[in-house]
Amino acid sequence: MTIRLGLYATLAGLLTLASCQSDEEIKRQKYITEGILLYKSNCANCHQADGKGVAALYPPLAGSDYLANKDKVICLIKYGLNGPIVVNGKRYNRPMPAQLQLSDLEVAEITTYIYNEWGKETGLTSVTAVTPILKACETNAQQNPAPASAP
Amino acid sequence: MAVVLLAAGLVLSCSQSDEKLPILSRREAVTKVVDGKSVTDSVYQTIPDFAFVSQYGDTVTAKAIANKIYVADFFFTSCPTICPKMKVQLKRVYETFKGNPDVMLLSHTIDPAHDSVAVLREFADNLGVSGRQWLFVTGDRETIYDIGQNSYMVTAQQDSSAPGGVVHSGAFILVDKQRHIRGIYDGTTQEGVDKLMNDINRLLAEYKS
Ligand code: HEC
Repeated sequence: MTIRLGLYATLAGLLTLASCQSDEEIKRQKYITEGILLYKSNCANCHQADGKGVAALYPPLAGSDYLANKDKVICLIKYGLNGPIVVNGKRYNRPMPAQLQLSDLEVAEITTYIYNEWGKETGLTSVTAVTPILKACETNAQQNPAPASAP
Repeated sequence: MAVVLLAAGLVLSCSQSDEKLPILSRREAVTKVVDGKSVTDSVYQTIPDFAFVSQYGDTVTAKAIANKIYVADFFFTSCPTICPKMKVQLKRVYETFKGNPDVMLLSHTIDPAHDSVAVLREFADNLGVSGRQWLFVTGDRETIYDIGQNSYMVTAQQDSSAPGGVVHSGAFILVDKQRHIRGIYDGTTQEGVDKLMNDINRLLAEYKS
């Protein structure tokens, strides 16, 4: 992971030096490319590659009104979710497991991808924006641990 | 009585689509005494009788699958990794053969401590499954692991380092009306399950005419 992050830093540096396109746009494309791969390996087994979810088991991301709570979404990507939620008027209640192995950068890349694909965003959710949000919910998760899966 | 296991019948004879599906069950040599002489006979193992409890709370025995072909698999409802894929794929099989009285699906939980009747019921409901064509069963943990490993030839074991605490195979097992295994498929991929559905049709055709 450190090697990978280092690589990114170098890559980002190179890209910045060589940029004719806007730096922001290059970074966004890089985030999205990585985000697609991360989504495929960490999320698509439940939410499906097309983001439509599975019946009443796994909620959709495509067209989800839940995406309006972006801070919450950033947190749940890493720390999971427990207890009932409502997505587009439908109730779901099944624990989503935490994925603590995801780095801040990876969470930022996944967030960028899903919001560009399904959240009508065209910009980037940068790692600098994600880090403080994850910090806050980490403390939160420690202070009131998510309830065990509801019956 | 000596029961000697012969080689597993995994010899893939031929896979042309107009051929019969191979029988993959292990062969066993059974020595019987007939008229005072001992005779050795080689037979295919069959899936033994069982008694589990379904998502509706009733007991499911081999009677439920009598005179049907069925697909068996092993999963648990809180499994984060391959089970969601398997269930999405098995749902395709369910939708394709819905209402066909000759076809059943039998999903065994390998986490009976968590997957109670109520949990299985909710899972099936949420997946959009109703009726008795697809049964989700629970029961005694050892019995489930035993039938999985020794009869359906799939692996399942507890492993605290694996996500969800259990490692298991993502296999779907196709069983015929004689309770012989006729195919084993990768239940996590579209291609594996396309082949399964193709083979279900071939197997159904064997019983016609
Ligand atoms: C093991 C299955 C599983 C995996 C893997 C998974 N989720 Fe979820 N996800 C769920 C479930 C179940 C819920 C509903 C949680 C609840 O009921 O409290 C959910 C809820 C959500 C929600 C909020 C509701 C919605 O649909 O908008 C988002 C956003 C989300 N997941 C994104 C992700 C992302 C991104 C990943 C990959 C990093 C991921 N999930 C991985 C099962 C999963």
